[in-house]
Amino acid sequence: MTSANLPNLADLPRGRELPEARFRLGADDVRRYLEAVEDCSDAYGQGPEGPAWVPPLAVAALALRTILEQVELPAGALHAGQEVEFRHPVPVGASLRTRARVAQRSEMRGAVVSVIEFEVREDGSATPAVVGRATVIASHGEAPS
Amino acid sequence: MSVEGVPEVPPLSRQVTQEGIRRYAEASGDFNSIHVDEEYARATPFGGTIAHGMLVLAHLSEMMAAAFGLDWLAGGRLKVRFRAPARPGDTLTARAEPRRARQVDGERVFEYGIECSNQRGEALISGTAEVVVGRSR
Repeated sequence: MTSANLPNLADLPRGRELPEARFRLGADDVRRYLEAVEDCSDAYGQGPEGPAWVPPLAVAALALRTILEQVELPAGALHAGQEVEFRHPVPVGASLRTRARVAQRSEMRGAVVSVIEFEVREDGSATPAVVGRATVIASHGEAPS
Repeated sequence: MSVEGVPEVPPLSRQVTQEGIRRYAEASGDFNSIHVDEEYARATPFGGTIAHGMLVLAHLSEMMAAAFGLDWLAGGRLKVRFRAPARPGDTLTARAEPRRARQVDGERVFEYGIECSNQRGEALISGTAEVVVGRSR
């Protein structure tokens, strides 16, 4: 799908669900993430190829990226707020799927404030590992960056 | 300020560099021009590139993970506002101020006010962090 086919986030109404998306964070992905954020904590355990657990904010960040790839973000869109709850650790290499919806939408001084509620589950898990809400502010009708 | 029953969390400092921002773009897949295209970013109201908000937030999460280990992965919560951008050349400091301890459904929860500020003391991210202790055991 080209970006021209994607719905603009600012146009999505409250309650709109985004298609389920899947992603996986393998040992190389986790190593790249830890190097990028310079995280040298030993909180993520030790597995055969590096950390045993995915840093929980990496799960949230990659989920959010996967979700936002399904919409067009207007130029100048700002990530204004973030809530995230880590409910259980995610093992490195796990297959993950996201569900997301527009939980709130409001307009303020020509800008649209959208709150995207999301959850991330491991395949086969009955309960989410990570849940969150991202607040994005976008100007109506601006061309994408 | 110490609060009885709530452990102190050591602060953490990190430098923001354009190279670090580029590495984060590759790790996260977020290549928004405001982060990685210096010419584009100069023409925006920011006047230059800025770090991804989730990159700055990662320092706060790392600080809590270093303090609480697996409990953070199994029962951590963050609620923050992104107040101002972090720019290449900034020195960031993540801090947590103990607020209170409470019992929720039989679980012990520690609450902190958290902030990530730059070298001028400007708050770039502020909010709260909570951790449920003992859930990972």
